[in-house]
Amino acid sequence: MVGVTMFACIFAFLLHHIPHHIERQVLCLPKYSFKGGVHPLHSQHEGKLPTRNAPIRDFVSDSVVIPMSMHLGAPSKPCVSKGDHVKIGQLIGEPVGGLGLPVHASISGEVTAVEPRLITGAGPVMCVCIQNDFADEWVDGIQGYGNVETVDPALIVPAIKAAGICGMGGASFPAHVKLTLPEGKTCDTIILNGAECETFLTADYRLMIEEPRRVVDGLRAEMRALGVKRGVIAIEDNKMEAIESMRKAAAGREGVEIAVLRTKYPQGGEKQLIHAVTGRQVPSGKLPIEVHTIVTNVATAAAIADAVIDGKPLISRITTVTGKVVNPSNLRVRIGTVVADMIGECGGYSEEAAKIVMGGGMTGVCTANADIPIAKANGGIVVYNEKDAKSVDEEPCIRCARCVQACPMGLDPYKLKHLCDAGNLEGAKANHVMDCILCGCCSYACPSRRWLTAAFKNTKDAIAAAARRK
Amino acid sequence: MDWIPVVLALGVLGVVGLIFGILLEVADKKLAVEVDPRISKVGEALGGANCGACGYAGCAALAEAIVSGEAKPNACPAANMAAISEALGITVEEGEKMVARVICQGHNGVAKERYKYDGYTSCATAASMAGGPKECAYACIGLGDCMRVCSFGAISMNNGIASIDPNVCVACGNCEKACPRSAIRIIPAETKVLVLCRNKDIGRVARAACMKACIGCGRCVKECKYGAIAVEDGYARIDPEKCTRCGACAKVCPCGCIIDYSVTAEDKAE
Repeated sequence: MVGVTMFACIFAFLLHHIPHHIERQVLCLPKYSFKGGVHPLHSQHEGKLPTRNAPIRDFVSDSVVIPMSMHLGAPSKPCVSKGDHVKIGQLIGEPVGGLGLPVHASISGEVTAVEPRLITGAGPVMCVCIQNDFADEWVDGIQGYGNVETVDPALIVPAIKAAGICGMGGASFPAHVKLTLPEGKTCDTIILNGAECETFLTADYRLMIEEPRRVVDGLRAEMRALGVKRGVIAIEDNKMEAIESMRKAAAGREGVEIAVLRTKYPQGGEKQLIHAVTGRQVPSGKLPIEVHTIVTNVATAAAIADAVIDGKPLISRITTVTGKVVNPSNLRVRIGTVVADMIGECGGYSEEAAKIVMGGGMTGVCTANADIPIAKANGGIVVYNEKDAKSVDEEPCIRCARCVQACPMGLDPYKLKHLCDAGNLEGAKANHVMDCILCGCCSYACPSRRWLTAAFKNTKDAIAAAARRK
Repeated sequence: MDWIPVVLALGVLGVVGLIFGILLEVADKKLAVEVDPRISKVGEALGGANCGACGYAGCAALAEAIVSGEAKPNACPAANMAAISEALGITVEEGEKMVARVICQGHNGVAKERYKYDGYTSCATAASMAGGPKECAYACIGLGDCMRVCSFGAISMNNGIASIDPNVCVACGNCEKACPRSAIRIIPAETKVLVLCRNKDIGRVARAACMKACIGCGRCVKECKYGAIAVEDGYARIDPEKCTRCGACAKVCPCGCIIDYSVTAEDKAE
């Protein structure tokens, strides 16, 4: 009894006297987190074991297929034609519209075709195919500003725009638009998303371990562009090595801090991350800027650092190739590298592939074949065998409400599913289907294996299409 | 046993019931809302499936709108026009009999499969996945989005594509809206000769995607004596104004993508 009381006293003392951020890490108290969520592949280290210790390896393929539509917004207009010789960093697609982004050649060589090709989305999009001459010649006039701490803040966002950088965590929202504050809005915190809560992927983890300086430089560039005083790099607690590495790199940098998050899916969801780190809740249907916060991915920050310091456009990214391949790896590939080449670089298939997924296990999208090029926002390729790829028929809902517990947005997925299946768009809207972030937690948690997320995506698309028609 | 409380209770209850009954009866007569008797008559004559294709919340809402003059009397294609005419005391012209047709013959084995889809049973989801499970970007996907929105049970899935029973279809148009590929068209039932393909690709590509694709060869154009057919955008189109339903084009089409419904078994049953 005395022992217990003493322990409680010491505990209470520690709670009061240890600084907040140390307390959270030393005492293993609840870390920054959010309500809901799931733990996919928890017993298997989120499926990250095969690649988490694989260093980033450079891979340059013989040819690339660069889609003109790798970002949200209108596809870019190709400005080269068949037979042209291009150099690395040369503009090959001109931006179209307000959310448009320029596209640059990622290798030097001859343009072999400008034609529609199939990518992961709904239909073929215009692509520029380039055959590599391995001269690795950069286009003339690549000139950076040298240092993110001394550059004129007004020059940062134009440099990001010229580099064609979009959100590299998956949403592919143009970075310069995100970093331009709408009229009357203010921002006091920039959060770098290093959670990488998605299963199988380790690209951001390796980036944070091997090139932490690029990430911090990118964050500082973003902070200086907007005059923001606080920058938080948020990392899940299953990535201790990355936390250590980032902490070392962030030491002595003005306003940069590290937040340790609890390992839970979807910790890297924008709204979940903001809530975990700042305690603020993004209002329904609004952007994070509404709560004075901007979230960007760590890979995006690294690309921003390259764009500001060296003036280099976004021509490569780190992608995890894992699953049923002989040698799962983290590859730094040029944008437009074809999946088949990357799998070949990783030693080929270790088992007969039944499904190739672009992205991670929870939010990834299947491809039709291995001839799909990698886009700016593709952080991973996962190869499934027949057994893992098999989908199960859905059973009736048993009203267990596991989906309700799992939903990180506080929705009622079982109810929404009925409304969506009945095609009741108004009802689904009234039950906040538009707040669904399509994380897949409900489908994962459902014991009846119902197609919840797919139904919500359909309904969201239908509502968006109806709004466009009006 | 003392009967007085029982009798008293029954008596009080009976009197109270009587008083409220009279009150209700009086209120019913005094406060009655005038309802146009035509609304219920029109309502009975409508399709009755509450399909919502007219744009109103259901058949009752449309009946009100028709009587108030907000909607046209022939707004519901499934309605009994004679009954509506009688109820409204006017002659409602029955619109031309329309019917929904699937503009695709890409059955399993005919249309080339791009990948095997075993996900959520929804054409819209499949269509957003790597260009859809069929090689042809214009083909009916065959997962039944139209079947699920049809309130009349006119649509069934037959060997990988939708098939619509023209005798049951009332042309409400819900299937047309639901199809992510726009492979369903509402056309006059009288239009019997149809090109059942809308593949805009060049002939070689179209043929590689589907054995019954229109390759835009133009044989039907030459065969047609009335100049009703033209190849535009890579596939043949028949002008229903000029077409005499002779069916000559259907006989010469090398790909079998022109169908003459007047000689097929489907419409002979009519």
